[in-house]
Amino acid sequence: MNLQLKVWRQQNANTKGNFTDYTLNEISPDMSFLEMLDVLNEQLLGCGQDPVAFDHDCREGICGSCSMMINGKPHGPENMTTTCQLHMRKFNDGDNIVIEPWRASAFPVIKDLAVNRSAFDRIIQAGGFISVNTGNAQDGNTLPIPKPDADAAMDAAACIGCGACVAACKNASAMLFTAAKIAHLGYLPQGQPERHKRVLRMVHQMDSEGFGNCTNTLDCEAACPKGISADNIAKLNQDYLKAKLRGISA
Amino acid sequence: MFSLFQFLRSTVFTKIVMAVTGLMIVGFLAGHLLGNLLMFSGPEKINAYAFGLKSLGPILWIVRLTLISALGLHVWSSIKLSNRNRAARPIAYQEKKSLKSTFASRTMMYSGLAILFFVIYHLLHYTFGLIQPQTYFDNSYTLKSGEVVHNVFNMVVAGFQNPFIALSYLFAIIFVSAHISHSVSSASRTLGIHNPKYLALTSRIGRALAAIFLIGYLSIPIAVFSGIIKPACDNTEACAAMKDCCK
Repeated sequence: MNLQLKVWRQQNANTKGNFTDYTLNEISPDMSFLEMLDVLNEQLLGCGQDPVAFDHDCREGICGSCSMMINGKPHGPENMTTTCQLHMRKFNDGDNIVIEPWRASAFPVIKDLAVNRSAFDRIIQAGGFISVNTGNAQDGNTLPIPKPDADAAMDAAACIGCGACVAACKNASAMLFTAAKIAHLGYLPQGQPERHKRVLRMVHQMDSEGFGNCTNTLDCEAACPKGISADNIAKLNQDYLKAKLRGISA
Repeated sequence: MFSLFQFLRSTVFTKIVMAVTGLMIVGFLAGHLLGNLLMFSGPEKINAYAFGLKSLGPILWIVRLTLISALGLHVWSSIKLSNRNRAARPIAYQEKKSLKSTFASRTMMYSGLAILFFVIYHLLHYTFGLIQPQTYFDNSYTLKSGEVVHNVFNMVVAGFQNPFIALSYLFAIIFVSAHISHSVSSASRTLGIHNPKYLALTSRIGRALAAIFLIGYLSIPIAVFSGIIKPACDNTEACAAMKDCCK
């Protein structure tokens, strides 16, 4: 396959970036999208040029690193797929492909396509955990959990923190991420003691990071590579309101 | 107090303000439509209804102030939130596809702004009578009870016989309908309804209301402009100046 790439190049967070055009020839349709970028970087290094920086780690769809906007869609054209699991056979010979980093003030560009997603870590640090004393884990069967709750918690826990929800949202809102992290603990008994404080603290942190707000357009759930439902956002809203009505302070 | 302050500042709270005030306005729109449809039962009914509303005195003012406050808070929260949203993405994408969102949901700010201008225009037109003063101030009607009241019926007919005014209302109603189509489901989500079955229902209710408001509100200017609703015959100059007067 021969491809025309239009890639965002930016030295660092403080410089202005711009698009650069590249031509790639003889790309195998069996390559993953990241392997295609590897070929591009080999080519650039061969010419003594700076390779395109992009994040990647597991290359098996679970680490959430390989974040990039491909032709206007987070992680590219295939639904519920991360960039590393996207294959070049999804494209046609001669295609133009536009590759951009996530664009959000809360995700500053580190270099080229790599953005700093530490804002997500700080949201987790604000309350996305349970406080338990260490020691042996008790027998799982002593904590009865209704099957629908266990399923809902597991679905929400599938979030890999890739940031596609923020990237797809017209407001660059992190509500789907925050809601998923709140829901996967909120459905389980272990998450109950800190449930109210958790939602207040995490929402406060989310707002402080400068993300936009949710206008319920649902583009986030369509972009999510793990298919996490935006209904979790409504659950976050309910938890938030309940915590406030009970007079709980963060 | 710190907690309350944080609550007031949070985007989730601002969204709740937006949702509650928005639903109040949807309720008003439903009532306003029912009243307006009295245009189809002739001048006696709608003039008596309008006179009845105006005779409510303090209750009318409580309702008016509630609605004005709701609208004010709705606009305030939308400004606050959209400023935030603009700041959250300072550099736009070169290419951005919309995935699941509807056109109406993405353009709430624009339809909302258009509606705000329309509301001001609509109030100047039919509440303050400044757009067409001749058909507003010199226009009375004698009810069967003998009471002399404002002739709302002829005022509306005179308004919609003007093609420019009829057209401006047509556009405004399309904006209202688009805005409403996203409103009910969005407000329900913001207020914490998260059961998928109820969410599906709220989005159907929103779309149904959008269709009902579109057809209902549009039916009046269309009926007037096409001559289905004719002016009530009286000897005033306002009537004489209208098309189809006493025909």
